[in-house]
Amino acid sequence: MSIIAVYNIKGGVGKTATAVNLAYLSASGGQRTLLCDMDPQGSSTFYFRIRPDRKFNADKLLKGGKHIDRSIRGTDFPGLDLLPADFSYRNIDIALDDMKKSKQRLSKILRPLCDEYAQIFLDCPPNITLLSENIFHAADYILVPLIPTTLSHLALQQLYAFLKEIDEKRMKVLVFFSMVEKRKKMHWELMQQLIREPGVMPALIPFLADIERMGLYRQPVNVALPQSMAAAAYADLWREIKKRMARQ
Amino acid sequence: MPITGHNHRDVQRERKAVWLLPAALEADILLADLGRTFPLTAEQPRRTTATWFDTFDWRLYSRGILLYHDRTAWRLLNRDLAEEVAALDAPGQDGWGFCQEFPVSRVRSLLEPLLAERRLLRLFSNETTTIDGRILNGDGKTVAQVMAETHQIGSEPAIATIRLQEVRGYGRDFDEVSDFFSNYGIREQVNPYFFFAQGVRSNGRSPLDYTAKFRPALRPEMTARQAMVTVYSDLLATMRRNEAGVIEDLDTEFLHDFRVAVRRTRSGLGQVREVLPAGATDTFRQEFAWLGEITGPCRDLDVYLFEENRYRTRLPEKLQPGLAPFFAELRSRRASARQRLVRQLRAKKYRKLTTAWQEFLDSGGEGEVTKNSGLPVAQLARRIIARRFRRLLRAGRAIHPASPAEEYHRLRIQGKKLRYTLEFFSALLPEEELELVIKELKRLQDNLGAYNDLAVQQGQLREYLAGLRLGSRRNLEQAAAIGGLLSSLDREQRQVREEFAGRFAEFSRPESTELYRRFCRRAS
Repeated sequence: MSIIAVYNIKGGVGKTATAVNLAYLSASGGQRTLLCDMDPQGSSTFYFRIRPDRKFNADKLLKGGKHIDRSIRGTDFPGLDLLPADFSYRNIDIALDDMKKSKQRLSKILRPLCDEYAQIFLDCPPNITLLSENIFHAADYILVPLIPTTLSHLALQQLYAFLKEIDEKRMKVLVFFSMVEKRKKMHWELMQQLIREPGVMPALIPFLADIERMGLYRQPVNVALPQSMAAAAYADLWREIKKRMARQ
Repeated sequence: MPITGHNHRDVQRERKAVWLLPAALEADILLADLGRTFPLTAEQPRRTTATWFDTFDWRLYSRGILLYHDRTAWRLLNRDLAEEVAALDAPGQDGWGFCQEFPVSRVRSLLEPLLAERRLLRLFSNETTTIDGRILNGDGKTVAQVMAETHQIGSEPAIATIRLQEVRGYGRDFDEVSDFFSNYGIREQVNPYFFFAQGVRSNGRSPLDYTAKFRPALRPEMTARQAMVTVYSDLLATMRRNEAGVIEDLDTEFLHDFRVAVRRTRSGLGQVREVLPAGATDTFRQEFAWLGEITGPCRDLDVYLFEENRYRTRLPEKLQPGLAPFFAELRSRRASARQRLVRQLRAKKYRKLTTAWQEFLDSGGEGEVTKNSGLPVAQLARRIIARRFRRLLRAGRAIHPASPAEEYHRLRIQGKKLRYTLEFFSALLPEEELELVIKELKRLQDNLGAYNDLAVQQGQLREYLAGLRLGSRRNLEQAAAIGGLLSSLDREQRQVREEFAGRFAEFSRPESTELYRRFCRRAS
């Protein structure tokens, strides 16, 4: 069982599309998969047409156990469940701060789910907070969608520095290029530069209208448009990630 | 512990339910009505064909497992939880019979301990037409899955069912649809694999219609003759059930079960004396001795061939290739032995024997009254068990480390006789104590059996060796390999012998003998 956090401090880089599509691919490959929407915006929750239970909130999440069990919902796809986000997550840091071992809380509440799910994905909010720190400790892998621009590179360096500070291994980080436009010289140059670094994967997701429109058709792209380039790109990405996980 | 698809501790499982549709109701009508009450989308009907498998003696079914091939994959199911436990992609590969034919996979690792030497036989095929439907909520989310299915087995009339599957977290929707069905008059719930028994029956069998377990249904008020006629009838039925499998060589267990039935019959005729008319006893003793003889060679070779892998591991790597021609020779001998056996089972002599024995037993063992024929069976049972046990104890106590091998073999025979007697009369004996007694006896027999086995193997290997012409390189390698085997087997045999004293001491301890004493007093 492993936990993959899909994370980037910047918004709009394709985190949710990635989390949704990879979670679907994981489940359709026969592994019971849980996608946890950690972002108060609730985008992946929206993509799966799910609404959280009215009684569910950040406090219930942090309590864990049956509070989480009761909130998990089956998606329309066999083997794939979702733990919906709630708007109250916007204040989750406050609740976390009050707790003992405030940085390991998420790890603790996710542990029991390992018996039930072969793979867990975390769709993370675009920020760097106490929750993020929890996520970095809990995750076995931190999957970073990176738009190949200079500022993105900078953000990646910041991430590595932060991980070092909180005593987490840089090896956890898996980077892939997201929303790539091969015609843009900067994208191409930066990719050439970064591909040589450890943890940077060759599989990439091009900028594609089909992916942008996910919010309209509200399904994983491999279900809505199985023959598309987008579907193929995510399938390749998932294959690459599995390979890397098997190696470690 | 039941075999399941994944771990689930205190996790709620999504509910599922399958209902039979009343005969007059058609799936499309039901779905149309359902669609008027709930937002519903339905797919085009899809058809699947499945072929179902199990061993002759229901090794899967008896453990709550079902196995089928649906043209694209093998699927293994837990029947009671109605869930798929493992699947193996194998398009078109529905011809596999033995677990070794399956590629390494979860399916194979689940089948191996259950199937052992038995072959998977085709039970029946069925066709299912499914309309997949989804109940949606206002957001277009699927909140429940419905499947309208029509099941077709052979030329039987089709049966329609409706299946409802809960989506996690949407329990209320599941309940609402359940209520809808109930109000609609659909109330007969069935296991999703309800059609299995019917499918099996469509080919003339029924689930669990054969077991190798031997428990003759004796009643205490029977006379000895009535009881033994019941025992022999059971055994004859077993022989008959296995004939076809032996002749078709489906797997080696058919011959094994056949032989065991023959052996038990012979043991009865030899030990439970003066119960059947003398003339019949003598005649049939001879006939069954003949049957024992003709079935021996093929079975011995079967057992040998099982040893192939184990023999290899006994030898250092350099000697192992020498075994290949040895086993090739055994295989060819086995083929001839089998042919000879099949000829004899098809011939008149065998037919006449089984017909005569059947008629004799059907008549209740008609003939003159004998010394023990009218005895209450319990009394006879007590007497024989007590006698067998005493003899076993005596023979065992006389053995010491320097005793010749024959004495061990004789002791083993004594043990077998006791074992058979306990089996014949098991219905009359208190169950718990019987279990204990048989367990203890088994421990002893395992040791004696292993010893005997090793002796027999060595004897046959020596014989084979004596027949080898040592001219060629190939035969030299065979001889070296066999020599290696002999020393390995000899070492093991010594070890087994050393263990005997301890085993026998366990068997003959006061608690055991007390058990038999109580047994023989209480048997009724």
